[in-house]
Amino acid sequence: MKQMTYAEAIRDGMRVEMQRDPNVYLAGEDVAQFGGCFGVTGTLYDEFGPQRVLNTPISEAVIVGHAVGAAAAGLRPIAEIMFVDFMGCCMDELFNQAAKMRYMFGGKAKVPMVVRTPCGAGMGAAAQHSQCMESWFTHIPGIKTVMPSTPADAKGLMAAAIRDDNPVVYIEHKQLLGVSGDVPEGEYVVPLGKADIKREGSDITIVAWSWMMQKALAAAEQLAAKGINAEVIDPRTLIPLDKDEILKSVSKTGKLLIVHEEVKTSGFAGEIAAIVADEGFDYLDAPIKRVTAPDTPIPFSPVLETAYLPSEEKIIKAVEEMF
Amino acid sequence: MDLKKEQLLDIYKKMCTIRAFESKIVEIFAAGKIPGFVHLYLGEEAVATGVCANLETKDFIASTHRGHGHLIAKGGDLKSMMAEVFGRTTGYCKGKGGSMHIADVDLGILGANGIVGAGMPIATGAAFACKYKNNGAVAVAFFGDGASDRATFHEALNLASTWKLPVVFLCENNGWAISNSQKTHQNITDISDRASGYGIPGVSVDGNDVIAVYEAAGAAIERARKGDGPTLVECKTWRHRGHFEGDPGAYKDPKDQEEWLKKDPIPRLEKNLLKLNYAVQADLDKIKADTEADIEEAVKFAESSPLPDPQELFTDVYAD
Amino acid sequence: MASVGIIANPASGKDIRRLVAYGICFDNLEKVNIVKRCLLALAVTGVDRVVYMPDYYGIVPRAVEGLAKAHHLSLDIVEADMEMTGTQIDSAQAALAMNQAGIGCIITLGGDGTNRMVAKNCGDVPLLPISTGTNNVFPQMVEGTIAGLAAGAVACGLADFPAVHRTKKIVVLKNGKPVDMALIDAVVLKDIFIGSRAIWDEERIRKVVVTRGEPDNIGISSIAGNLHPIGITESKGMAIDLGPGNISLMAPLAPGLIRPIQVAAYKILEIGEEINGEKGPLVIALDGEREVEVGEGEEVSFQLTFEGPRVADPRLVLRQAVAKGYSQGEQAMKKLHRLKEEN
Repeated sequence: MKQMTYAEAIRDGMRVEMQRDPNVYLAGEDVAQFGGCFGVTGTLYDEFGPQRVLNTPISEAVIVGHAVGAAAAGLRPIAEIMFVDFMGCCMDELFNQAAKMRYMFGGKAKVPMVVRTPCGAGMGAAAQHSQCMESWFTHIPGIKTVMPSTPADAKGLMAAAIRDDNPVVYIEHKQLLGVSGDVPEGEYVVPLGKADIKREGSDITIVAWSWMMQKALAAAEQLAAKGINAEVIDPRTLIPLDKDEILKSVSKTGKLLIVHEEVKTSGFAGEIAAIVADEGFDYLDAPIKRVTAPDTPIPFSPVLETAYLPSEEKIIKAVEEMF
Repeated sequence: MDLKKEQLLDIYKKMCTIRAFESKIVEIFAAGKIPGFVHLYLGEEAVATGVCANLETKDFIASTHRGHGHLIAKGGDLKSMMAEVFGRTTGYCKGKGGSMHIADVDLGILGANGIVGAGMPIATGAAFACKYKNNGAVAVAFFGDGASDRATFHEALNLASTWKLPVVFLCENNGWAISNSQKTHQNITDISDRASGYGIPGVSVDGNDVIAVYEAAGAAIERARKGDGPTLVECKTWRHRGHFEGDPGAYKDPKDQEEWLKKDPIPRLEKNLLKLNYAVQADLDKIKADTEADIEEAVKFAESSPLPDPQELFTDVYAD
Repeated sequence: MASVGIIANPASGKDIRRLVAYGICFDNLEKVNIVKRCLLALAVTGVDRVVYMPDYYGIVPRAVEGLAKAHHLSLDIVEADMEMTGTQIDSAQAALAMNQAGIGCIITLGGDGTNRMVAKNCGDVPLLPISTGTNNVFPQMVEGTIAGLAAGAVACGLADFPAVHRTKKIVVLKNGKPVDMALIDAVVLKDIFIGSRAIWDEERIRKVVVTRGEPDNIGISSIAGNLHPIGITESKGMAIDLGPGNISLMAPLAPGLIRPIQVAAYKILEIGEEINGEKGPLVIALDGEREVEVGEGEEVSFQLTFEGPRVADPRLVLRQAVAKGYSQGEQAMKKLHRLKEEN
């Protein structure tokens, strides 16, 4: 184990896999000498050189589009999109090309690629640099969606994403990049589709991921002081989703709260709620609740942005209303 | 120009095969035997054939919605293609892709594509893989005049030229972006003019003359193989049919259509073959009859192939 | 009333020699710019009317549109009376229409190939050729403004011999019948197809017939230029057989391509002299482009004549015009006013 930040852990995940497999390379805007807009790629350019760590023009469509072609031709690209907000510029390449190629070709193509992209508000970056939009990707059959909440998960899920033979959207939260934690050294894989119980509890199940996982954990500690023992589950990957672990927990607690940072309407919480309502209705002794961002764009002024974001207080309040 | 008699007769056979395949599709589509949309390559046979005659199996192509010609020219299997168009399990994609998504990655065919202009980034990536693996292979992106207006054209040419990738951007300028004539959708007439904006060479060539296409594409492919980077090759051609089957093409001036029919690439090649004594009319008739028989056989194969089991819906979404 | 024709070829400068050699890339926007310069110059020379070849890009209309907002062009600019085909035939059709319309001078924008088509039909109308092609011997690299001034001077009758002079040509005969012509060079190739038209590979050249050849020529005629130079006005030409022989030389066959040439034999041609006996199958390239397919059983021959088009040399033309005072005094200032900028 070694102490690493979330950003270092992502980098270490890429580093180990690049050492392991010469077909893995990294391309994106400012990822080489500059080390990435948020410093995530850091020293990888110095370690692997210009053949394997490539700066691209500001051309999201061809960053993702070329990765599709390179993956179909036998490589394992990691394509970085500087902000998840920029995915609109390369959505066709992701949802019509990468996601569907295998299916359209009758299973005769493999598209092993990772699209890494940071998400999240909380730094005054306003409406076009702050979003969480994971349900854009979970709505597309053919791609997997990964959202780590801890440094160890960040590393292990990165390895799994790179080794996966499918397109994987790997979403890093900007607020987590500097968070430190214990991370296994060397090869370390966290399988996709395996939820993690981040806090065991018996009174309510809180499902949250990415930055909201940390908020949910902090809220759970405060709730414990108030006598509510929450179980906090981090699905870690939304597609594939470990619904069994969620259902198992709800069967124990009888209550479900889902927390996410993306906006409420058509957000992924709705999907989890529907699954539990469908397959775990008998376990429930209260309506399923959601804590999410409101259905607005993300405002700039810190006062407004704070009002926008889900918080520990909002989580605690929602939980208390369920008792 | 080094085309030998056998090569030229091969090229002729490929062109006739495309012609026969597409003509058969006209017939079976009209008869209601196949579902969905089909966009036919009739009239443009010289382009795919002239280009692919320069390619090896290890080379990649990214095709378009009008892809049957590219696939046949790159060596696609007629029965698997026809079965796919019929939506049968024996089709290239087990009936899950249809006309617009036929692919054979083993032959370097990265798929027809239903999104106009989507093939250019994909071919750019395949070319990156060729360069990365240093295996001497190249990629060709086929696209039309309409696709040259898309952002993907700009992004792909810009990246490929900056990274000096072994890719040829092969524009089939058939004069029409669906119902819009070239002059109504771009302020230029020679798409090759755009090359200089990316610091790469661009050439325009008669796309209905298979020998001219073969020469120009050959020179561009050789540049790519030598490591000299991408080239934009514009082949000026004409689609005989509408944008898709069912589109009567009423927007075309009948006079233009008539002029272009006179430039039909197949009779043009026939004239050459006869003049050079590479073949007598009976030889050509036999090649044509053979290709038509091959297509009949492909149709029989398709029609007698099983339809997919509904459970097939759920497979191939993800690789295991 | 003085009139000038403009034949601007939208297809020149785009062929395969940009790949197999290092040919100049000439986009059509630059041709529009050249025509703008020509028009602005023509407007001050006393020309009233400009007749132009219609083309699929619309080079001249775009030039006019671009100028109309900034300048008052006192020129009547009209399309030639012809049907556009979008092929090289248009250049010949335009020349015919201009010849019939009594044009005083034709400005061409293209290469040797474009001028060859114009020369077929321009009769005695002098040409002022601006190079926008690939292998250019016939047209010169001349600035558009200067070309416009010179063409205007010719059309207004301010220049004559030797500023405007007759050129030579090669008549191509198939089985004894004239089928085509070349202004600079006719080349017998081992090829059997016209294909992408361009020629660049010396291995395929069997025979070269030239009207002239200077060491500073680019293209096939440079073989003659490096063997035994023949000038534009000299009453002779040359036929060269390539192949193993005593003479080897280097020649710039295409832009950036300086190649070794083996000369088996060569012969100075007199005016009227005919070179016989090339049997098909083969292809003849004329002024740098594969043009004529000669089938099996056909025979082709070449005849040198001094019946090529008349050509205006811009430097000599403008010297004559200046000597006649065209650019000085009240008359000149008045002409300049025809081009006043609009506010």
